[in-house]
Parts: sequence; structure tokens; C-alpha cells
Amino acid sequence: MSKIDYKSHKVIKGISANSGIAIGKVVCIDNKGRKVHPNIITESEVEVHLKAFRNGRELLVQELSGMLDYLDPSSSAIIETQKQIVLDSEVERRVESIIKDELLSGDYAIYKTFCDFIERLKESGSELFRQRIVDLENLRDRFIDIICKDEQGVTIEKGTILVTKELSPTELVALHSEGLIGLVMERSGVTSHAALIAQSLEIPCIVSAKNATAKALNTTGVLDGKEGLLILDPEEELLDTYKAKLQKLKNTQKRLLKNISEPSHTKSGTEFFLSANVEFESELTQLKKYNASNIGLLRTEGLIFSNRIAFQEQIKFYESVLSSTDGWVTFRLFDVGGDKLSDKIPEEANPFLGWRGIRMLLDEKHLLETQLKALLICAGKNKGRVKILVPMISVEEEILQLKQVISELQNYLVHSGHAIDEDIALGAMIEVPSAALNAENLAKHLDFMSIGTNDLTQYTMAVDRGNEKICSLYQQYHPSLWKLIKITSEAASKTNTEITVCGELAGNVLGACGLFGLGIKNLSMISNAIPKVKEELISHSDSEFIELAESFLEASNTTQIKEIFEDWRIY
Amino acid sequence: MIKKKITIKNSSGLHARPSAALVKTASKFSSDFFIHMYGYKVNGKSILGVMTLAAEHGSELELEFDGADEKEAMKTIVELIDNKFGFKDE
Repeated sequence: MSKIDYKSHKVIKGISANSGIAIGKVVCIDNKGRKVHPNIITESEVEVHLKAFRNGRELLVQELSGMLDYLDPSSSAIIETQKQIVLDSEVERRVESIIKDELLSGDYAIYKTFCDFIERLKESGSELFRQRIVDLENLRDRFIDIICKDEQGVTIEKGTILVTKELSPTELVALHSEGLIGLVMERSGVTSHAALIAQSLEIPCIVSAKNATAKALNTTGVLDGKEGLLILDPEEELLDTYKAKLQKLKNTQKRLLKNISEPSHTKSGTEFFLSANVEFESELTQLKKYNASNIGLLRTEGLIFSNRIAFQEQIKFYESVLSSTDGWVTFRLFDVGGDKLSDKIPEEANPFLGWRGIRMLLDEKHLLETQLKALLICAGKNKGRVKILVPMISVEEEILQLKQVISELQNYLVHSGHAIDEDIALGAMIEVPSAALNAENLAKHLDFMSIGTNDLTQYTMAVDRGNEKICSLYQQYHPSLWKLIKITSEAASKTNTEITVCGELAGNVLGACGLFGLGIKNLSMISNAIPKVKEELISHSDSEFIELAESFLEASNTTQIKEIFEDWRIY
Repeated sequence: MIKKKITIKNSSGLHARPSAALVKTASKFSSDFFIHMYGYKVNGKSILGVMTLAAEHGSELELEFDGADEKEAMKTIVELIDNKFGFKDE
């Protein structure tokens, strides 16, 4: 695409916080930054100011919690941290001390406390922490706004691009419902509250646009979120270019959204099943948005990292996952290296070829049995909805040993009066080449197999993807991978075993199309990849996918495979 | 009161998310918890306190615990730091 020439125009430049295009009326609000003064209060006013601080704190925490509904997991983590900051015991101690001991007003106490911390962060001179300073300033100002009950109460017309110093998340949500289509802020960083909300509401947004409120005119404007530009009073030619771009964007979005509620079948009418990979509880809220009722991979290692492996804590986590959806959930047993269990276990020379996954679990019986017991009890309460997936299977014996442990535990549970799911599904991760090559024999003992393409790529290519010197060899489209997947898929159909792919390959269009061509109809992926994968799978017929997979298998390198896919897609 | 020296191992240092994890874990214990670094001393149960240390990869901290469950608190916190707070290296 040719670069757009906006040179002859008056533009406002900033940093892209969310891409997208908005064409509309530019409205500028020059909300003055609040000035906070150290107002002296009397002894009798202390209680009122303390109360205002605590109430304000509660309101701010509520506001932050309310934001979580709009956010994806990584943004949610930022907000969770900010909640912790607001509730910080040191903040409380200092603010209360300024009010009580120095007899200064609550708003100033908050201002001073946050400024002290911000100063300290600035002194540290660390680049990494600079971003946090913007967050803290936002949090400070929002806190003070709330204490002073200072909502701006702006109203706008439909189709407005707003230029402002900054905006609170609540204001943005309200303006969005009134028809805000784009946002330019002078202050605020990419991770400021309003920017995060803009991302989730899919409003183009630019931040750190210096002097924007001074430069903006109340005219027509084009906001190019991706380039971080607001073009004022655009000439007709430029406007047309942007109108065309916008139309294209809108069409794509419309199509993707419409597809979500469409039935999942290919042009030939063959059904396919897209499920979600989940690691954190906060991701569960995303499932509905993408119409994903089943969780094809639930990672449980987080419990080990966060020290929540006690039996009751596991039950609590598993139950909360199961209650978040009506579908089934594939729980993968702890997939970690042994060194993560205790300091006493030294790190191995080759941890990826070492004591991990099922190898470690079969030795650490207590850890294994506690997890299995928790899962089997949950399965008894939610019949047909719990599946167990075993990581790092390389030989048949590991499955047999594990099955022995499961059947003993099931017997024990029945005798101690628990309900169990006798038909609980057991599956193995196919992520080691030996397991893929021997899949037919393994499948005889299993209800399902799940190909973990990330590890399978690492082990097949003999590449640690984290090693910068060789990471270009980490090629998940390599023909050798397709061959291993084909062997596994054929083994599954021969033995009538269900087969799923839960690695990154399933969540990208090239991968998903090739996998479907090899007969794999269950794909599990990070939930936000579902729309684009679905879009591709419903747009072609079975024979086209099969043809594509066949040419993948005939290719001799990764570059060819990428070219084959591009040609196939365009025709 | 017990003390222990420890080095920050995750590549991006003690930024917001690890600080949050550290404070969350420390708050589960009743013992007082302080962190010393280059002459600073901060309350280890205060996220802003921990963040303002701006501890980067390789920084040496001295952890100080004081209270009934100080031994268990120290063990848990040391494990957390050694495990890079359970995050994959970012």
C-alpha cells in the first residue's frame, strides 16, 4: 500500500494506542488540569477527610473492578495491579498521617503521597519503570477527581472524534454509548485506563499527542489510529482514500462478527469444533464473546507457580473453571520441569529433555494423586464435562502406569462414598516425535489425543525457541511437522480415537486449514484467534483443504509452504 | 527476626506484575516484611514501596522478616523470587 500523503494538512501527532480509522466531527475539550493546594483543615474536620479518603478509595476500586468486564487478560492484570496500589497499606498510612498529623486536606494528602512515590520512581532512572509513572499519575488524578466528585459531564453528538487532555474510563464508556468514534488524548500512555478501554471498545485512539487541545479545530477530521495521526480538515482526495480504507475495515469486522454466530461447518457442510485454550481465571470471561463453550486446553501449572496446590485450592480452581461454561473442559496435568517443585531439586543440564510432565508426575506420587483426586471428584459432580490430558508422553508404559493410578483412585473414591464419572475421558499430549510415530499403539489405550504443536516443533527441529541464535529454526510449518501430524491423524481415525490440536498452529489460519485438510476437526486456540480461524474454515470446501494439506506434505521447506498457502488462498 | 540476601533473576526485574505477586504473597503472612536495597528500606507488603525500589535483573536485595511465621514467610518469598514469580521470562 502506498504511503498516504498528508503533508499539506494540519495534523496532530501522537502515539498509537489502538488502530482503526474514524472519520467525523472533531470536538475539542480543554479540561484544565486540576490544581491541588495544601489546604489546612481543623481537628474537627479530620474525621470527614479520612472518611472521604476511604469512601473515595472504595469508589475507585469499584470503578477499576467494573473495567475488568471490558478487558482482555493482559490488560486485566494491569488493572488488578492498580487495585493493589490503591489499597496499598503504605498509601493508607501516609495519607492518613498527612490528614491527621499535618492537618492538611484529603485531596492534597493523596496528591502528596502519590507524588512522593512518583519522585522516587523517577530518581531510579530505570527506563522500565517510566511507563509506570504515567499509570501512577493517572491513578492519582482519578483518585482526586473522585474525592472531589468531579465528573466532567461532557455530552457529544454521534460520530464525534474527541480531543482532550485525558479521560476517565467511566467517561469514555459513557461517551462511547453516545456515539464517540475516536479519541485523542494529550496525556496518558498506551496502557492508561482510557486507552485500555478504547482497545476493548475497538475505538481508534492516540495518546501522548502534545498540545493537541491547542491545535485542534472544530472541523471534520480523519483519525488514523495505526499511524497515530489526526488529520484536520482533509482535502477530498485524502478523505476518499480514508473512506475506502474505513469501508474495507468495516466489512472485515462485520464478516468476522457475523461468522461467530454462524454454524461451524465448511462449504461442504462438514462440522468443525473450535475450543479455547485457558490458563488464568480472568480469561474465562472471554469465552462467551467468542462463542466458545468448550475449553480444549486448561493449563494447570499456574497453581504450582502461585503455590495453590493444596487439595482444596485445586478443587476451588477447577470448580470455578467448570462453572464458567456449560461445555466440557480438558484439564492438562501439571506440565512443568521438576526443578519448579522445590529448591532442593537442582536444575538439569537439559530440562526440556529431562524430568518433566508425566515423567516427573509418576515419581512424585503425592503431587499426581492430589491433582487426580481433585479432578476425579469434580468429574463425578460434572459428568461428561471433565477430560484429563497427560503431558509429555513418550512411551506406552507411561499411559499404562497412569491408568493404573487413576483406576485405583476411582475405586477409592467410590468406596469412600464419592460420585465418580466412570467414563471420564483420558488423553495424551502428542508432543514428542516418538509419541507421534507410535500414535496408533498409544491410541488403543486412550479416549483422545491432543497434538501440542509448540513442543512437537521444538523436539522435531531440536530447537529451543527461546535461544536467540537458533530460533529461526523453530519452524512450526516445516514439512516434517506436517508428516508427523498426518501419522497421528491417521492413527486416530484407524483406532476411532478423537483427535485435537491445541498448539499455536491451530490458532493461525495457515495451520488450521492444513490441519483440517489432514482430517483434524477439533482445534483449540487462544480465544481471540477463533474469529479469524472460523472465517477461513467456513470459506472453503473439504476437497480444497485436503488438496492444501497434500501440497504441504510434498513441500521441501517452510518457505514453500508459506507460498503454497498464499497461492491457495488467492487462487 | 531473620534476614536473607537474594538476587532478582527475571530479566525485566521487579516491575509491576512481579511486585504485585510479591506483595500478594507476603500479605498472606502475619510477619512484618521489609526489603533492603542499596540503603533503601521498604515495606515488602506495600506494592508502591516494592516498585519504587526499581530493582532490575541482578539487583541484590536483603529480605527481613519478623514475626510468628517468619520462617515460612521467608521460604515462600525466596521460592517465589527464585521461580521468577511464576512468569515465563518476558
